[in-house]
Amino acid sequence: MNQESTETTAPLQKRNPTMISLKDVSKTYTGEGATEALRSVSLDVREGEFLVILGPSGAGKSTLMRCINRLVEPTSGSIIVNGREVTSQRRELRAVRREVGMVFQQFNLVKRLSVLMNVLSGRLAYQPLWRSLIYSFDKADKRIAIECLARVNMEHKAFQRADTLSGGEQQRVAIARALAQQPKVILADEPVASLDPKIARQVLTYLKQIAGELGITVLCNLHQVEYAREYAERVVGLSQGRMIFDGPSGKLTDDILQQIYYREAEAGDDHDV
Amino acid sequence: MADPVQAAEKDFFASLAARKKWRFHHIVYMAAGIGFLLWSADGVNLRLAELASGIPKIASYFVRMAPPKWSFAETIWMPAIETVYISVWGNVLATLIGLPLGLLAASNIIKFAPVRFVAKSILNLMRSISELIWAIFFVAAVGLGPFPGAVALGMNYAGILGRLYAEAMENVDPGPVEALQATGAGRIQVVLFAIFPQVLPQFVTYMLYWFEVGVRSATVLGMVGAGGIGFELVTTIKLFEFRETGVILLVILGMVTIIDYASTLIRSRIY
Repeated sequence: MNQESTETTAPLQKRNPTMISLKDVSKTYTGEGATEALRSVSLDVREGEFLVILGPSGAGKSTLMRCINRLVEPTSGSIIVNGREVTSQRRELRAVRREVGMVFQQFNLVKRLSVLMNVLSGRLAYQPLWRSLIYSFDKADKRIAIECLARVNMEHKAFQRADTLSGGEQQRVAIARALAQQPKVILADEPVASLDPKIARQVLTYLKQIAGELGITVLCNLHQVEYAREYAERVVGLSQGRMIFDGPSGKLTDDILQQIYYREAEAGDDHDV
Repeated sequence: MADPVQAAEKDFFASLAARKKWRFHHIVYMAAGIGFLLWSADGVNLRLAELASGIPKIASYFVRMAPPKWSFAETIWMPAIETVYISVWGNVLATLIGLPLGLLAASNIIKFAPVRFVAKSILNLMRSISELIWAIFFVAAVGLGPFPGAVALGMNYAGILGRLYAEAMENVDPGPVEALQATGAGRIQVVLFAIFPQVLPQFVTYMLYWFEVGVRSATVLGMVGAGGIGFELVTTIKLFEFRETGVILLVILGMVTIIDYASTLIRSRIY
């Protein structure tokens, strides 16, 4: 689909440049019962890395992701994506968002539009406004869209409406939409939480392929340990907004899992973010 | 050892009974509500006896309409069609004015509250002046005929449709909206590609419904000289030509019925 280096392989990643850099990122949700969703998280992710963020519900995984493309405004700390500070200045923010694709638990496709239109929506940030006003895309955009659909084996459903697809198919289209942005980073927020295990593995395989073959940095939130063990090269463990593990999935011992998942139970399981 | 299921059941029914209890403030609200109804009944001089005794008079109007003077249809078919034109262009104007204002009034599109407040206030103003009053203004401004009628409908319906559009857009699934924001798409692009496709069926339903309402309203606009079939309607009543009045009412009924069927058909095609 583009001229990204396709020869990126795992051992090379050590030398790959840093794509995302978080420094002391904290987020406190204000309002009733102020919640500290993130507490001083620092993290560097390299280009082409496939990183799984693991943790129970309410650990702050989703908040961490949304801070990276500023769907959530962090309370403090700095975030750099591809050398660009993710500022709140609107123009700059849109430039960063264009390089960061996102995949959601609920797919978030526009159901009444065709699969193709949904994927083409990923090209909007590259388009002049007048073109959007007449719902038109140029041929180059259409070519990118169909190539992205082919990458997730959904090109044969391009003209179907999104609401006629199964959950797994919808998530594949959502991945194609993210790919159509020709992003440097894809953020996948619990992408398989509403899918059955067979389809879930299929979706995770696509995401991992994307990181490997296209050199796109993929951050993937998961709450299931077995998927993390199966797919992750590197795992970051979050619990109650703190990063308590960062290492290869092989080092994910029972002891560490105990820390990630059960610290909360001791503290009382009454806060669900 | 107590059975936990039984214990839960007992607790459940105990709290259910506690929740159901009428409280003092419920009775106060109820009394206030009934009091308001009685007070306003006095205000409208609600006298059922007089209404009942008036029934024969009303019935006599309808009796005198029979048999309708069918030849009169020849005179009124043009004004009848003009009524439809007024409604069509009234609704087109209403959407052209109401949709932009509705966009500015929707909280998921405009985050800056003062802008929404101004847009809502304009919509409220347009809505609170009825089409008949607007028609009087516009007849005075541009003269008699269907044109001031269409503009009058447009102004009033812009207020109504703008508000309905705004509400429909506020109630869309926020997921796709967030997804498109995350791609870096601009605000207008998000509206076009994530919000409009979701609200399209509702928009069409509103437009068709207010088109039908417009046809009925436009029959009244003729009374103040704003074109349409209303002028003939008032004239025949004033001249006691009830057989002609009957024809006009039947024509209006026919138009509304046709529009109703047509809009049901159109809506079933948009899903």
